[in-house]
Amino acid sequence: MTASPGLAPLEPAARDALAELLLSVADDEFVIGFWDSEWTGIAPMLEEDVATSSIAQDEIGHAKALYELLAELTDDDPDRIAFGREVADYRHAALLNHARGDWAFSVARRYLYETADAVRLTALASSAHSGLAALAGKMRREETYHMLHADAWVRRLADGEARDRFVAALLALWADAQDVFAPLEAGDRLVGEGWLPQPMSELHAAWVARVRPILEPIVGDLAALDPSPDGRRRRTDDFAWLHGEFTRVSGSEEGALW
Amino acid sequence: MTDRIWEVFRQEDEGDPMIHAGNVNAADEELAVHYAREFYGRRGESHRLWIVAREAITELDDPDLLKPPFDRSHKKPGGYIIKHKLEAAKQRAATEKEES
Repeated sequence: MTASPGLAPLEPAARDALAELLLSVADDEFVIGFWDSEWTGIAPMLEEDVATSSIAQDEIGHAKALYELLAELTDDDPDRIAFGREVADYRHAALLNHARGDWAFSVARRYLYETADAVRLTALASSAHSGLAALAGKMRREETYHMLHADAWVRRLADGEARDRFVAALLALWADAQDVFAPLEAGDRLVGEGWLPQPMSELHAAWVARVRPILEPIVGDLAALDPSPDGRRRRTDDFAWLHGEFTRVSGSEEGALW
Repeated sequence: MTDRIWEVFRQEDEGDPMIHAGNVNAADEELAVHYAREFYGRRGESHRLWIVAREAITELDDPDLLKPPFDRSHKKPGGYIIKHKLEAAKQRAATEKEES
């Protein structure tokens, strides 16, 4: 095991706990980055195309940094972690299982994800794991802009001609959105070590309190739901298709560089 | 949403002049700011951006005002040739010195 400077090597159970947390965040960023990059070339207008593609690139960049941290922890290769797993081994939240859909659907998903990610990053920025805390702090600076961009679109779709589609998308995604806060197997340990400063259940409650006042005036009452225990293990055909897309180059030749 | 055109000016470093970078289409100021940032600032190349609705710009392109038909060379720094006058003045000064 390779330890980064200033970090003592961890015993296996602790290492696995930290790895589970890092992988969940990394896979979220990686998968939403790939879904949103599906808009490149066909977004509603040229300027939005560049903005969406750029944000998607940012998310992949965050995933890369997280995979690198994880690879260092588990003595693995970041590219192997990103591209070398089977569909069932990805640990992103169920919210990110869906294909990009139409523009209203993608905006609805990004809003739900960005708000949840903001709550999670705020917590992780004060993680007892210094490497993760530093990375989360850096990611937050970029996510501020992502949040503003998603906010801007929510307000536009909420009372424009796309309203019906936007409402339908929010309602369709609401249950799976809870799963950004799906319990981690090592949740107690992560909180005990201070690596995850608050339990997922608290972060979930903070997120619900944040989005409810924004979304309910648009969609009406939203069901009070708990994240599901398998919220990071359910996989769909949509994701299997995306997996085929993003592993196409790495799958065509082992160790290929591009 | 109807798109409007927004002219974008960028400054590379504090104190540098604001230079016209180009323009973006956007429905309103908020999205214009996002798009300007993506087009002219996402690579860290800008210290500051100005985003101006094109209709807020007052344009002057009247040739009668900008390219008047008469010779205006006397309004340019190079339009007034002082070389010979300067030489004459120097000579005069030298003569006056000799005479005194």
